[in-house]
Amino acid sequence: MSETVQSPIDSTHRSGQRPMIALEGVSKTYPKQSKPAVAELNLQVPEGAIVTLIGPSGCGKTTILKMMNRLIEPTTGRILLAGEDVTDVNGDQLRRRIGYVIQQVGLFPHLTIGDNIAVVPKMLGWDKRRVASRVDELLHLVGMEPDDFRDRYPRQLSGGQQQRVGVARGLAADPPVMLMDEPFGAIDPITRERLQDEFLEVQRQVAKTICFVTHDLSEAVKLGDRIAVFAARGRLAQYDTPSEVLAHPADDFVTEFVGSGAAVRRLSLLEINLLELEEIVISGAGAAGKDHPVLSVDGAGHPSAWQHLPGSEHLPPLVTVPLSGTVYDAVDVMLDGRAPVVVVVDDNGQPRGALHWEALVADLRTKGQPR
Amino acid sequence: MESYLRYLSENSTELIFYAQQHFLLVGYSVGLASVIALALALLLHTNQLTPPSWRRSLRVGGRETSLLLASAALTIPSLALFGILQPLLGLGVTPSIVALTLYAIYPVLRNTLAGLSSVDPAVLEAARGVGMGPVRRMLRVQLPLAWPVIISGIRVAVLIVISIAVVAAIINGPGFGKPLQDGLARLGAVNSFNEVITGTLGCLVVAACYEIVFVVVRRLTTPRGIRV
Repeated sequence: MSETVQSPIDSTHRSGQRPMIALEGVSKTYPKQSKPAVAELNLQVPEGAIVTLIGPSGCGKTTILKMMNRLIEPTTGRILLAGEDVTDVNGDQLRRRIGYVIQQVGLFPHLTIGDNIAVVPKMLGWDKRRVASRVDELLHLVGMEPDDFRDRYPRQLSGGQQQRVGVARGLAADPPVMLMDEPFGAIDPITRERLQDEFLEVQRQVAKTICFVTHDLSEAVKLGDRIAVFAARGRLAQYDTPSEVLAHPADDFVTEFVGSGAAVRRLSLLEINLLELEEIVISGAGAAGKDHPVLSVDGAGHPSAWQHLPGSEHLPPLVTVPLSGTVYDAVDVMLDGRAPVVVVVDDNGQPRGALHWEALVADLRTKGQPR
Repeated sequence: MESYLRYLSENSTELIFYAQQHFLLVGYSVGLASVIALALALLLHTNQLTPPSWRRSLRVGGRETSLLLASAALTIPSLALFGILQPLLGLGVTPSIVALTLYAIYPVLRNTLAGLSSVDPAVLEAARGVGMGPVRRMLRVQLPLAWPVIISGIRVAVLIVISIAVVAAIINGPGFGKPLQDGLARLGAVNSFNEVITGTLGCLVVAACYEIVFVVVRRLTTPRGIRV
C-alpha cells in the first residue's frame, strides 16, 4: 500500500466544510473527582459528515457525546450547534432538535412503534396528520412496512428491528444532527453488518451530521467519514479520515490502538472501481498477445475459464469479484479460491479486467495516476 | 344450617347495609392512602423538583424515612390505634377512616417506590435524550411503566384493610365489625354464632368484590404493550 491510493478515497467530498457541531475548550470534571474526565477538548464536526468517536473504554467518548446534547453538562467550555451557542439554552428544548440513539435502544415499552417514533414530533406540537405521515415515511425509510409495524409493541420486535425503530425515533423531527452511542453494539454480527449497510443507505438519503460512538474499529472505519480517536481523559489523539488514521497514525497511542490489522482494514476502504485494472483479452477475439491474460467466456459473455496467463505454467481456478466491491473482497475470494488473480466483473457479469496478488502487495495504481 | 339461612334472610337488609359500609370504608381508606403514597413517591422520585445539591440525599433520606414511618404505622396494634385516635377524633366513621388509611399507606408506598425504581434506566435515558422534561418523563413514561406494580400494592392494601376494618367497631365504626363483635360479646346466646360467621363471611364477600374490581381496573389501566 502506498500513498498513491489515498486521494480517491478521501471522503471530504461527502461532507461540507461548515462545522455543524463545535466543542470549544470543553472540559468535564465529575463531582468528587480531582482529575477531569474530559479536558480542554476542541472538536469540529463538519455538516453532513459521519464522525465516529472511538477509543478504549473509559476514555470519555460517551461523556463527550452526551455533552453535545447536554445530557451531561460540561464544566467549562462552549458548545455550538450550527454556529449557535447552545451551552446555556434549555436542555430539553435543545435535545428535541438533536436525534439521539443509544445501544440499549430504550423504546418505550408501553407505546406502540408508531407512538414511539411520534414522541418528539408530538412534543413539538405537530398536527396529527403530519405526525402520522412522518411515522409512515420513517418506517419506510428504515425498511419496515408501516401497516405491519405501526401498531405493534416494542417487545414484539427483534433486537435489530427495535434498533431500526430507535433510529427512526431519532430521525423523527428531522433534526440536523444525530448522536448515536454504540447503536449496533448489542446486535449479533450478521444483523449488525446489515444494519450498518442500511444505515449508510439511510444517511445517503437524509444527509445528517452524525456523531457515532463505537469501540469497534472496523465499524468506525466502515461508517466514518472521519474518525476521532480518543486517548484517556478525552484527549483527541487523532482526527482524520479513516485511511489517514490507518495509514499514518498520529502517535504511538493511535498506532497501538489501530493495531497490527491496520493494513488489512485499509483494504476495505479501497474500492475496486477506483483502481487501474490489468487488461484482459477474450479468447477468440483475435490479437491474443502473449503479455495479456486470456479468458474464455460463455454465450452470455460471462467469464468461464482462463486460457492463458503470462508467466504462469499452471492455470489457476477462475474467481470473480464485482466491480462495486472493495480490494478486501478481492483478497477474500483469492484466498478462498487459492487463485493469485481475480477477474473483476461489472453488474452484468461482463469481465472488466484482472487484479493480481502481486499488484496488491507491490504497488496499486489508481486511475489517472502515471505509472 | 337451615337456621343460619333463616337468620340471613331475616336480617338481609341489615347485612347488605353492613356490606356496603364495609366496602366503602375500605374504599375510602385505601383511596386516601393511595393518593398520599403516590404523591409522596412521585415527589421523591421526580428529579429536579428539589435543589440539585441535596437532591440525592433528600431522595434517599426521604424515601427511607417515609417507608420507616409507614411501616411503623402498620405495626401499631389495631386495637390500640383505634383507642388512641378516639380522644382526638371521637367515635364513628372519621377516626375509622383515618386509622385504616394509616395502615394502607405502607403497602402502596412500598410498591410505588419499587415500581418506579424498577423502570429500565435505558428507557429513562432515552426519554431524557429525546427532550422530555422531568415531569413529563414521570407522568408519560415512568408512572405508566410502574403502574402494574403500584396497582398490586393497592390490592394488598385492600386485603389488609378489609380484615383490620372489623376492629373499627370498637369505636362505633361502620361495617362487618359490628355483627362480629356483638356476636363475640354474647357468645352462646341466640344467633350469636350466626353473627360471628356472618361477620367473617362478609369480609370474604367484600374481598371477592374487590378482586373483581381489580381485575377490571387492571385490565383497563395497564397499557397494552406491557400487559402480561
